[in-house]
Amino acid sequence: MPSRSDLKRLYDVGAQLAPMTHQQQDWPYEISPDAYKAYLQPPHDVGGQASGPSVFEEKEEELWELNTYVTCEVLGWKGVWNSEERRRIGNNDLGASLYYGFPYYGRWIWAAARMLVDKKHISLMELLEKIAEVKARHAAG
Amino acid sequence: MPPAERKSLPARFEPGDRVRVKELPNLYYSRTQMYVRGVIGTVAVCTYTDLKPEDEAWSRDDAPYEQYYIIRFRQKDLWAEYPFDKDTLQTELPDSWLEPVTA
Repeated sequence: MPSRSDLKRLYDVGAQLAPMTHQQQDWPYEISPDAYKAYLQPPHDVGGQASGPSVFEEKEEELWELNTYVTCEVLGWKGVWNSEERRRIGNNDLGASLYYGFPYYGRWIWAAARMLVDKKHISLMELLEKIAEVKARHAAG
Repeated sequence: MPPAERKSLPARFEPGDRVRVKELPNLYYSRTQMYVRGVIGTVAVCTYTDLKPEDEAWSRDDAPYEQYYIIRFRQKDLWAEYPFDKDTLQTELPDSWLEPVTA
């Protein structure tokens, strides 16, 4: 169980992900046509948007990234998903916060697991139990 | 089934044709960039036939294949403040997203 202060810290980090334009708009509310279009624009259609400076870092892929790549390709070769489903799930369906917040291959592996649950190859509870099992094994060394 | 044997819709355009990208709404998924919608470009190359992204993204594998094209746009038509007249941008779009430009 996380300590209550750890839990508070998680909530605080989550609150910071709310967009700067966020207003209390669950009820009653209306949104402008421009805001409506902006919300529905797929997150991966970034061409033309302003962006801040970024640091260019030259590095090799890490092992987890290569493993993710191979996993996603094998799922493709086996016919479990196609390249456009991968883009839809991994670029669009995860939403803007995760699209901008996760590393590139983090989006891939999120999409692969999501697809396996969507297509009923594994159940969500099986996935959660397996992640917890691997975490515990890893923590034990 | 190899792509050549797939049922494919007839290509409506050929290299040199002027086309306008349709202004369809965004909903759930798209590969058509916002900045080309409603803009007129020129067909540079007919590439291949395939499912359109809107079908492939939901595994509609029995949908008809259609022609893909490389469309060439003037950068000045895409970006209001673009400084150079001759620069172009190319992107690839399927037949469904294009409409003919007459005159």
